[in-house]
Amino acid sequence: EVPLISEVLPYPRIKVATLNDLQSGAFGASYPDQFSPIQILKIGKKVPGGVGPDGDIVAYSGLCTHMGCPMTYDPATKIFVCPCHYSHFDAAADAMLISGPATQHLPRIVLEVEGQDIYAVGAQGLIYGRPHNLSLTEL
Amino acid sequence: MPVYRPADRMVLPPVDAEKYQTVCHYCIVGCGYHVYKWPEGRSGGLLPDQNALGVDFTKQVAPLSGDWIAPDHHTVITERDGRRFHIAIVPDKECVVNKGHHSGRGGTLGSSLYRPDGPTHVRLTHPLVYRATEQSPTTWDDAIDLAARVIYGSILRDGNNSIFMKIFDHGGGGGGFENNWAVGKFFFNAVQTINCSIHNRPAYNSEVHASRDMGVPELNFAYVDAELSDTIVLWGANSYETQTNFYLVHMLPNLQGTTVKAKQDARPGEQVGPGRIIVIDPRRTATVVVSERAAGKDRVLHLQLNPGTDIALANAIARVVYERGWHDKDFVANRVEAETVQPFLEQSLQIGKSLDEVLAEAEQITGLSRAQIEQAASWIAETKSDGSRPRSIFLYEKGVIWGMKNYQNIGSIVNLALLTGNFGKPGTGCGRLGGHQEGYVRPGYPGPRPAPYIDDLLSQGQGNVFYVVGCNPAVTTLNAQRMRETLQTRGKLVRDAIDASFGADNATKAQAILDAISQGGLFIIVQDIYPIETARYAHVVFPAAAWGESPITSINGERRLRLYEKFMDPPGIAEPDWKIFGMLAQRIKALAQADGNADIAQRFSGFEWQTAEEVFLEGGQSFADGVKASTERYKGVDYAFLKAAGNNGIQTPVTIVNGQPQGRVRYFENGEPFYTESGKAKMLPTPWPGFPAIVQEQINKYPYFLTNGRNNNWQTFYNDLNIPFHAERVPLSYIEINPQDAQREGIQPGDIVQLYNDYGETTAYAVVSNSVKPGLIFMLFAHPRSTANSLTTPYVDPEVIIPYYKGSAVGLRRLGRLADFDARLTYQPTNFEPVV
Repeated sequence: EVPLISEVLPYPRIKVATLNDLQSGAFGASYPDQFSPIQILKIGKKVPGGVGPDGDIVAYSGLCTHMGCPMTYDPATKIFVCPCHYSHFDAAADAMLISGPATQHLPRIVLEVEGQDIYAVGAQGLIYGRPHNLSLTEL
Repeated sequence: MPVYRPADRMVLPPVDAEKYQTVCHYCIVGCGYHVYKWPEGRSGGLLPDQNALGVDFTKQVAPLSGDWIAPDHHTVITERDGRRFHIAIVPDKECVVNKGHHSGRGGTLGSSLYRPDGPTHVRLTHPLVYRATEQSPTTWDDAIDLAARVIYGSILRDGNNSIFMKIFDHGGGGGGFENNWAVGKFFFNAVQTINCSIHNRPAYNSEVHASRDMGVPELNFAYVDAELSDTIVLWGANSYETQTNFYLVHMLPNLQGTTVKAKQDARPGEQVGPGRIIVIDPRRTATVVVSERAAGKDRVLHLQLNPGTDIALANAIARVVYERGWHDKDFVANRVEAETVQPFLEQSLQIGKSLDEVLAEAEQITGLSRAQIEQAASWIAETKSDGSRPRSIFLYEKGVIWGMKNYQNIGSIVNLALLTGNFGKPGTGCGRLGGHQEGYVRPGYPGPRPAPYIDDLLSQGQGNVFYVVGCNPAVTTLNAQRMRETLQTRGKLVRDAIDASFGADNATKAQAILDAISQGGLFIIVQDIYPIETARYAHVVFPAAAWGESPITSINGERRLRLYEKFMDPPGIAEPDWKIFGMLAQRIKALAQADGNADIAQRFSGFEWQTAEEVFLEGGQSFADGVKASTERYKGVDYAFLKAAGNNGIQTPVTIVNGQPQGRVRYFENGEPFYTESGKAKMLPTPWPGFPAIVQEQINKYPYFLTNGRNNNWQTFYNDLNIPFHAERVPLSYIEINPQDAQREGIQPGDIVQLYNDYGETTAYAVVSNSVKPGLIFMLFAHPRSTANSLTTPYVDPEVIIPYYKGSAVGLRRLGRLADFDARLTYQPTNFEPVV
């Protein structure tokens, strides 16, 4: 197992959902603090980095990496859409930018599954609006 | 997995960071930016008084504030003396062009900078000279001496026109007024060759000759006009992706209705509301989809015409306008040369035929319905219920510029703007959007019009020296496979001669090269910032400075002139283009003096510039005085003025009023004359010409019509291939193919396909998308790993020698899949409409 984060900030380990919460395909929570919305997704097929019994659960920052607008997620297409400038991200492909003015894919929230519980344990990439991902919680 | 992800932390510019003003060097829009530079190892603090942005980073930065520094805004550079600095390049909130916004291009300016310990380390750092089977680094003196001897010897033996060139004429990166003046002075005044061509085409010409012939300089509007118009007409342009912040910051708010108050202020007493947009494109682009989502489908009209049929459509819309009496009769009577109106009515509008006949013909040619054509005419020109005329702005770009018949394509759109009187008022205008920025200042081109088609001449064995600067014809010229074959076979004769003379001095080698040239060889010089594909064939490579490494000045699509400051050293011993031409001219002058050739020594004099501003001021003196100032006229402005003017700069043409430089927002206000002898605009007869035979032959022979275009990556990906975020997303060209065609060909999203026709072949990966109708394939343009232009024909509009890049035909063959692409890429269509 390759570690997902090499130089780890002191990320908190927070329970963000249960497997049951994902029946509709998506569940909103926040991580690493209340100002950072995230979407926990059950993609429906095994994806890179996916966790859970089917290897298909992933989570991403819910803020657009362009100018920080909260995004909407469409479980049917597995696409995040920013309502401000229409950057689109493909959740089935590691939240890669499909097109739009953003210059970073959506930060991935690293998950662990323990029984029925889903924990967020870290983030890859820089969450919009911060110079580092824990800058708010350090205060 | 994983795709590229930046770190989860950043540094902040400290309060005492150096700060520079600059403009993004990529697309025509020219967004303003601030550059912060501070020593590595330091960071500003989170509190507002602890960082140079004055932002409180202990709180989540608010959406849309423009206060965040994204990871790709930042890099660490190493100066020539070894000192390392952080650089952060952030959008300027005070700049009226972008108002704090960045696109996917400008947002990665930071990570595009040269760093010896990052992907951009592949920049050219030293001159390279081909010697004994390899290109080796050498000194400026050595490389300049060899190039100078061959150019000088070629001029002496075979005349000025034996020197061929293909060189940038743009503003922004690699160009600017400084470098353009130096290039023009070198080739036009010193070499005096007519065998010139501009970076993206095979001759020395304008892309909008028709508009200029009609008296309409093409950059006649301001970006604010797209906020104030009733109808925005985007013709052959996908502005959401390619002029991003013109679309997002100026057009989109109009469509969303947030500029209504500004319209009321600018157009007192007129009935105004949220804007509408007409997009004319054979492809259902992201611009169409985003406009529909933002404005609602009832305020967006997408005319998805058959490729190449723009002239027929423009004529038909104009005919409806005329037939309904919606044309601006006062404007046509007072501002248009009367004798040009009748030929327009007869040939473009076909007034000898009934409206029904003309529209039936237009339906057949364009594939559009009569209702769509009439709706377009109504949105553009139908008088409102309060009796006021709608204001429309016509913005066109490569879809028509590189469409089937450049001259009439442009002319037919300008006709429509003239017929409807859309000039000289807020919310109006008709011109090109632009690709790169502008910075044209040169002595007059010494050749004829139409200019020689130099790609053709090179392939026929003409030309002794081919000097390529800041462009990549191996990838971007029409029929590029032919260009590569020419460079390969003719270049090899010179390489063989150099190989055979190893160990000799430059004088001996230059003679061997000239001998090889007389046997059909071609001496190839490439001057660039990267070892581009064309440089593979070069015998001498000169390393140029890039944006930020030398000061430049440019104008954007609304003629906004600004200073792009230098904030870092060029890599290795690279130099700005103007300085390279200075060195070369001085060496040729010395060779001529040593020969006692006073004429040539005189021609190559006056290149002893020491600073970029000297070149800028010298170029400025070339502009004529008078009322009808050329668009780029900046005479009277210096760097100090521009530094003070900041990122809002001044809109050219500049005139000096009471000793002060004064710009202008838009053309033709208050009765300003058009740019003709009479002061009135000319209409142009633009009959529908039909497809050229050479293209029709491909259409008849191969099953798919092939068009192409850009995404939001920049040009030939010269920087983007070295920016992980961009490079990983688009590792190869892709095609967009309709689901029906994909099914018939057995093609799944992500399949690797071979495309071929009589002119060449290449590969791409497949995106299955409803952006294209069955029978049409779109291919990403100018990606150097698989070049769409291997498939374009050598056809050019014979009137102006502008290629028809957008029209070819291909067969295709499925080759298989690439597992690493499947693991890394999304194959979702970039128009945001997944195929389910």
